[in-house]
Amino acid sequence: MMTIAVPNTATRPKLWQRLSFANKTDLVTRILIIAITVALLFYILLPVYWMLKSSFQPNQEIRVLPPIWFPSEATAQPYTNANRLIPMWRYVLNSLFVSVTAAAISTVIACSASYVLARFRFPGATIILGLILLTNLIPAITRVFPIYFFIQDLGLLNSYAGLILAYVGFSLPFAVLMLRGYFISAAPPELEEAALIDGCSHFEAFWRVILPVCLPGIAAVAIFTFLNAWNDFLWASLLLNQGEMKTIQVGIGDFAQEGGGVQYVNAFMAACVVATIPALVVFVFVQRWLVGGLTAGSVKT
Amino acid sequence: MASIEIRQARKAYGTFEVLHGVSIDIPDGEFVILVGPSGCGKSTLLRMIAGLETISSGEIAIGNLVVNDLPPKKRDIAMVFQSYALYPHMTVAENMGFSLKLARRSKAEIDQKVGEAADILGLRPLLARKPAQLSGGQRQRVAMGRAIVRDPAVFLFDEPLSNLDAQLRVQMRSEIKALHQRLKTTTVYVTHDQVEAMTMADRIVVMNDGKVEQVGAPLELFDRPANLFVARFIGSPSMNMLDGRIESINGVTTFVSGGFSLPLADSSTGAGEEVVLGFRPEHLSLATPDSTAQLKAEVVVMEPTGTETLLNVTADGHSFLALFRERLEVRSGDEIMLSIDPSNVHLFSKLTGKRL
Ligand SMILES: Nc1ncnc2c1ncn2[C@@H]1O[C@H](COP(=O)(O)OP(=O)(O)OP(=O)(O)O)[C@@H](O)[C@H]1O
Ligand SMILES: [Mg+2]
Repeated sequence: MMTIAVPNTATRPKLWQRLSFANKTDLVTRILIIAITVALLFYILLPVYWMLKSSFQPNQEIRVLPPIWFPSEATAQPYTNANRLIPMWRYVLNSLFVSVTAAAISTVIACSASYVLARFRFPGATIILGLILLTNLIPAITRVFPIYFFIQDLGLLNSYAGLILAYVGFSLPFAVLMLRGYFISAAPPELEEAALIDGCSHFEAFWRVILPVCLPGIAAVAIFTFLNAWNDFLWASLLLNQGEMKTIQVGIGDFAQEGGGVQYVNAFMAACVVATIPALVVFVFVQRWLVGGLTAGSVKT
Repeated sequence: MASIEIRQARKAYGTFEVLHGVSIDIPDGEFVILVGPSGCGKSTLLRMIAGLETISSGEIAIGNLVVNDLPPKKRDIAMVFQSYALYPHMTVAENMGFSLKLARRSKAEIDQKVGEAADILGLRPLLARKPAQLSGGQRQRVAMGRAIVRDPAVFLFDEPLSNLDAQLRVQMRSEIKALHQRLKTTTVYVTHDQVEAMTMADRIVVMNDGKVEQVGAPLELFDRPANLFVARFIGSPSMNMLDGRIESINGVTTFVSGGFSLPLADSSTGAGEEVVLGFRPEHLSLATPDSTAQLKAEVVVMEPTGTETLLNVTADGHSFLALFRERLEVRSGDEIMLSIDPSNVHLFSKLTGKRL
């Protein structure tokens, strides 16, 4: 009987020891690596921090030179202010609704389509894949007019449905390609066959075995679609730019044009923070699904 | 427990037929092994029994029930895949209990059955692990456990040991055999490992190119191969073949090939017939002066394994293998005289390849 070691928390090395360079003896290398990392972090995080701290500062304090890095008196006033200047929370809800719906729809469609493309060989499968690939090769900007007029002809301009339709369409090619690859590598046909023999129907096999096994891939696709929709400005500003139905990104754009960047810097920064946070939260929460490894060991390769 | 009858089963992918009418009868409780070269349709046949492939024509019955149109779950079978196909998101216990859970058995019953199977296979300490945390041999065992927990009428194995190292393969081989002796469940097992087939099977089905060449007990196939294909396929090192014809010399039926002649013990073959003579490497011996059929051969390669000596020799432009129990003092390039034991030769028709 052989056994293999499974790492448990007690014997697991400390975070510090697990860093790949921690075991290298060369002190200079270590210092260099740390220095570069810190510099990079600083470079990446500085604008974010600036935005965050400004959103809690009175306007006078933001303009002072030398800059004040830590708000002397943090206040949430800019947030309420922002919501007075634009219907900020309404915009956020709009964005959430459009992005979540688009992500859900395109994930469901992508799952079905890519499952079929991964499992079954049928006439035309290669052509379908080729076409899907082709859509990724067309520059996004050339699609602006056809899609605008298309949505207009459908009578969906300035409606949630029109924007959602556009987002679903844009995200599907990538989602299908990526999920198809995932279905092929993470869920080989034998897995499903084993389930069929164990007593599943085709649907049960998909629902109880394939889907859970492919959850990381599916989650990745959903998040990707969500983030794309959430962060989109171009399409939202074209297709849905009237009244209270705007998304937060378009709302911020309008805000900036209406003097937000000059007169109400702190409120504007507050709106920016609000526009950023959901994406961050989503990412942090679902990040564990994105980490692969769940499927390792099902099938020996 | 169930017998399996396969009657004229055919399988075609589009117009391409891969099984050309296979008929096999497997009595209840038998351990049958399907062997044959790669691509001959072993897996296809097994998957047709399992219900994972449709049956193009013909009939497959499990326990006297024709299953052609039944889905896998209605066939009361369990299958072990070459890749194991364990569910990666379930623990070992969940993997093994999945079929019972689908059958809506009680939690207590599932635990008990999984526990029993785990004890048989030595999996107790691993029940809480995920497949990713197991070694190859342990995964193999879980795959077996998943099959036996269900107590099916038929076990199907598709090359279950081919991903294991040689030592573990030998161990699992005897474990599977012991398991079969204990459970007495009808088993169909696919392999292309000779030794596996010879040691484990009650009966072996030799397949080639979508057809059954011969069905029989391991030693039966070894001693009386029905045709050239089986003769070449069964036995390792494989049988030597020599083309020639039957002649009657002084009233004795004799095999003649070039300058070599061998009087045959059996005289039923008609003179003038073109035949192929088959003889196993172990039935060649060093000639003594009074041996009748002598073959002058040159040693090409000598491979001593310790227990045996394998010689690769050429004679008359043909190359042969010769296997000796004893150790030989010969070297490449040496000339030796070999003799063939006439009571241990096989004659096949050159035309049909059938045994004469
Ligand atoms: N889906 C398919 N479409 C077309 N031909 C197929 C398909 N699946 C299998 N075949 C063909 O059927 C034949 C038998 O395949 P099968 O997998 O049964 O061989 P096998 O005897 O199990 O070989 P191996 O020992 O390599 O596993 C092969 O020639 C293969 O190319
Ligand atoms: Mg096979």
